[in-house]
Amino acid sequence: MSSSHTEASSLVDVTMPQMGVSVAEGTVVEWRKRVGDWVQADETICEISTDKIDSEVPAPASGRVTEILVEVGATVPVETLLARIDTGAAPGEPHADEHVEAEARPRRYSPVVQRIAAEHGIDLDAVPGTGRGGRVRKQDVLAAVEAHAGNGEAPMHTESPYRPEPEPAPVPEPAAATEGDSRSRMRRAIGEHMLRSLRTAAHCTTIVEADFSAVEAGRSALGLTYLPIVARCVIDALREFPALNATFEGDRLVRHDDVNLGVAVSLGDEDGLVVPVIAEAQLVSAEGLGRRIADLARRARAGELTNDEVAGGTFTITNPGAFGAIAATPIINQPQVAILDLEAVVKRPVVVTDERGADAVAIRPMANLCMSWDHRALDGALAARFLSAVRRNVESWTGG
Amino acid sequence: MATSIARPAATTPRAVASDRTVASDHLNRDDRVALLRFMLLMRGLEERAGSLYRQGKVPGSFYDGFGQEAVSTGAAFAMAAEDRLCVLHRDLAAHLVRGVAPARVLGQYMGRAGGVTGGRDGNVHFGDRTIGCVGMVSMLPDMMLVATGMAMAFRLRGERRCALTWMGDGSSSRGDWHEAMNWAGVQRLPVVFVLENNQYAYSTPLEKQFAVRLVHRAKSYGFPGVIVDGNDVEAVFEATRAARERALRGDGPTLIEAETMRMHGHAAHDDMRYVPAELLERWRARDPIDLQSARVAELGVDVEELRAAVADEVDRATEAALAMPMPEPDTATDGVFCEGEPEPLGDGAQPWSGFHV
Amino acid sequence: MSEVTYLQAISDGLREEMRADERVLCLGEDIGEFGGAFKVTDGFLEEFGERRVMDTPLAESGIVGTAIGAAVVGMRPVCEMQFADFIACGFDQLVNVAGKMHYRQGLAVPMTVRLPSGGGFSGGPFHSQNPEAWFMHAPGIKVVAPATAEDAKGLLIAAIRDPNPVCFLDHKHLYRRVKGEVADGTYETPMTARVARPGEDLVVIAYGAMVHTALEATEDLGGARVEVLDLRSLVPLDEAAILDSVRRCSKVVVLDEANRTCAAGAEVASLIAEHGFEDLDGPVVRLSTPDVPIPFSPPLEQAILPSVDRVKEACNELLAY
Repeated sequence: MSSSHTEASSLVDVTMPQMGVSVAEGTVVEWRKRVGDWVQADETICEISTDKIDSEVPAPASGRVTEILVEVGATVPVETLLARIDTGAAPGEPHADEHVEAEARPRRYSPVVQRIAAEHGIDLDAVPGTGRGGRVRKQDVLAAVEAHAGNGEAPMHTESPYRPEPEPAPVPEPAAATEGDSRSRMRRAIGEHMLRSLRTAAHCTTIVEADFSAVEAGRSALGLTYLPIVARCVIDALREFPALNATFEGDRLVRHDDVNLGVAVSLGDEDGLVVPVIAEAQLVSAEGLGRRIADLARRARAGELTNDEVAGGTFTITNPGAFGAIAATPIINQPQVAILDLEAVVKRPVVVTDERGADAVAIRPMANLCMSWDHRALDGALAARFLSAVRRNVESWTGG
Repeated sequence: MATSIARPAATTPRAVASDRTVASDHLNRDDRVALLRFMLLMRGLEERAGSLYRQGKVPGSFYDGFGQEAVSTGAAFAMAAEDRLCVLHRDLAAHLVRGVAPARVLGQYMGRAGGVTGGRDGNVHFGDRTIGCVGMVSMLPDMMLVATGMAMAFRLRGERRCALTWMGDGSSSRGDWHEAMNWAGVQRLPVVFVLENNQYAYSTPLEKQFAVRLVHRAKSYGFPGVIVDGNDVEAVFEATRAARERALRGDGPTLIEAETMRMHGHAAHDDMRYVPAELLERWRARDPIDLQSARVAELGVDVEELRAAVADEVDRATEAALAMPMPEPDTATDGVFCEGEPEPLGDGAQPWSGFHV
Repeated sequence: MSEVTYLQAISDGLREEMRADERVLCLGEDIGEFGGAFKVTDGFLEEFGERRVMDTPLAESGIVGTAIGAAVVGMRPVCEMQFADFIACGFDQLVNVAGKMHYRQGLAVPMTVRLPSGGGFSGGPFHSQNPEAWFMHAPGIKVVAPATAEDAKGLLIAAIRDPNPVCFLDHKHLYRRVKGEVADGTYETPMTARVARPGEDLVVIAYGAMVHTALEATEDLGGARVEVLDLRSLVPLDEAAILDSVRRCSKVVVLDEANRTCAAGAEVASLIAEHGFEDLDGPVVRLSTPDVPIPFSPPLEQAILPSVDRVKEACNELLAY
């Protein structure tokens, strides 16, 4: 057999071999490859028949078949060009007629692949498959998830009238995307969310002061910090004032029976914060909330939270007061209608009135509960009454 | 023991010298009356149940032991509280002797929650484990092996107790009959096998079932077989009492072939047209309840009063059973497995005076 | 602790439980004087006497039926079928009397039936069966099938202590081929599955002798991390463990030594198809012996019992899917 190489390109010729001295021609019996198929060197590319012998023709090189010039059944003289192979092609490239094929037989995805793709917002059509026949296997979609992880986490809300920015291309190169921006991806995402929230909601902030003496008395016995106790008090107040346990879905305000309580967790200066959600928090005691918050915080900092755990919140609480601030005007976590900030518990002189109506000055642990709320959903009177209920719950806390 | 090994044919009822013959030295007046009462109660309940069946209140099929009441009454009466019984489908009186409340029997037939099995099994497929009765299965005579096994345990533990099971002539053709007889014989177990030869296995007469009378088989297994008049409740009692004593002495099993007649069809759906009319007539003349009533009347007992009392008891039981609810559908999958400590069989009543000396 | 064979572990479990609980009695053919066809009860007659180690007549229905009687009056009989195949002769007693008794009458039947099962040594059609599926299908009967010496002892003790009828499948081919560290004294193995080797890329679900075939076949499959789940208990079936393996591995090969149709693996595959659908990355593959009586001549027998090579091939194909 003979083959010829042309120097100018990476195309290799496949020609009709001479199967014996007296043989002058041969007939193509069968093509084993189509145009666009990958062929390995020495792999049979076609079958021929001559007067002397039938034979298989091995490919002279590895590459992709670019042309087939002689059809089955045709008899041609020895050394006639039968086909060409492009040795510069790469094995992973899709077949030339794949798009036609795709219409006839669409790509299929197994249940687990579809589930993982849906959970992470992966476009399966773009995922290369390494399984049989090029199918997408579980490890392929998981690899796509990892590659994707840097960009588009599921947005924290999808209902905002201001549509989220389009997903960046699934190639994680943040430096290339925004020249000179030293912020982390998380920081940028949080920033965008905050800006959107301010543009969407009619933000107001109401503040009440609460006396934490009762909480102080009981909490060390239970080994709790302030936050889970305040969380439980907030949940109880939300049962009284369900208007605050609501979210905007488009223009509709939807109240929820379950309190899915978001608790803001700081991930550090670079990485900002994340808000994992305790679902059906109304069923959890203060101690239970303490354990859940600790667990979620640990997992958040270790990057182990799943998408389900940051979705579906109906009310958010945050505790920047742990760092010493006494008042703040937090930004609402969309699409919720309120967010409550527990500020620092500080010993202050306050006026207390005894049973006989006499006033005196006492030292009490006090903290501000700062709630930002959306004036599209409620008004100041309701916000104040809600906060008063939270304060009442805090000040009468007995350890439940 | 019978001496001639004749080819079996439908038995004509054995003539008894006098219906006033005392068949047992071990029964006092109260015992005799009690035997009649249990037979009357069995017949009364089965007649009532048959009536309920025809009214559509008893699902499935209905079996009775009409005409055979003496076989279960007499044999069960000889059993002590600590003995254990496998009761078959024509032996309702055995349950009554051991102490099952009649209302629960009717409830059982009607598939009510208050029936002995709570609707789990039907008709006479029941056994109140708390009184030492094991409920039968339909494959006959599987219970012979269970009774053999109970007797085996008693012997292994050196306990003075016995097990008893009934079985029919039809069941003697199956392998388990042989395995049980053989096992009981080779291990000399304290078990009493009461074979109710009621002449027919459904529609199959004796001559199509076996070539040799069943009682003769016992010898081949190494223990005695005795024939008893199955319609004489006191004779059945006496034969069982004697067999029990043998067992407790360590002398092994006994096969008691009780000759009787199945006076109704195999079940309520069988009109028994295959039974010759004259055969039924002759056996009707020796109805076990009639026989015992005559005996007891001789002792000056007011049999009519007894009958009325039993009829009343049956009425009250019917009322109570009809008031029982059906079982809850969502309990249908409960209790396939025992979850906690298993409770073995308990002791039953022992009304015979011989246990109360 | 000591290293003992699977056979010895069964014998030890039975012996130690008999010492601990005087209600336990053994009955079977040739188990007394002879010590049992496989020597499981070797020495038992000397230690426990005839009252507790009973040479029975050749009567499987009798063995099972009398065991039921003994059980309902407070004993804990352990029946030995000389070969699992012969349980067919006691099928009626086991399924109709023992299995249904508690449901019907509230009367528990605490008995164990030991079934020396399995092939691979020219036992032929009547000495090589795996009949467990018959009894999985009968309500009221539990079925356990250990693969290791440790589990053999613990599951036998658990079976004896269980208040229900339990079929215990000793796999004959493991008797002397498998050894393991086994704790002294009595202990119970729970009737749950066990991960014999953890993995991620594929799980082979098996029980009995096939666990060892699976482990050998998947030791080194081109770097793939193949999990092997040893079911250990067929009734109750550890559905949670099965679905957990499927969730993590997404590709499943279910392996039965028993004849294919309606084998235990068919139930496992059906469970996965219904409840593990969302976690599957490929079809649930079953490997089993075809529906033929187990032949006697070695090349015929080896051709049909699932081999290490067949398991390797099936796994490789599924991994590449």
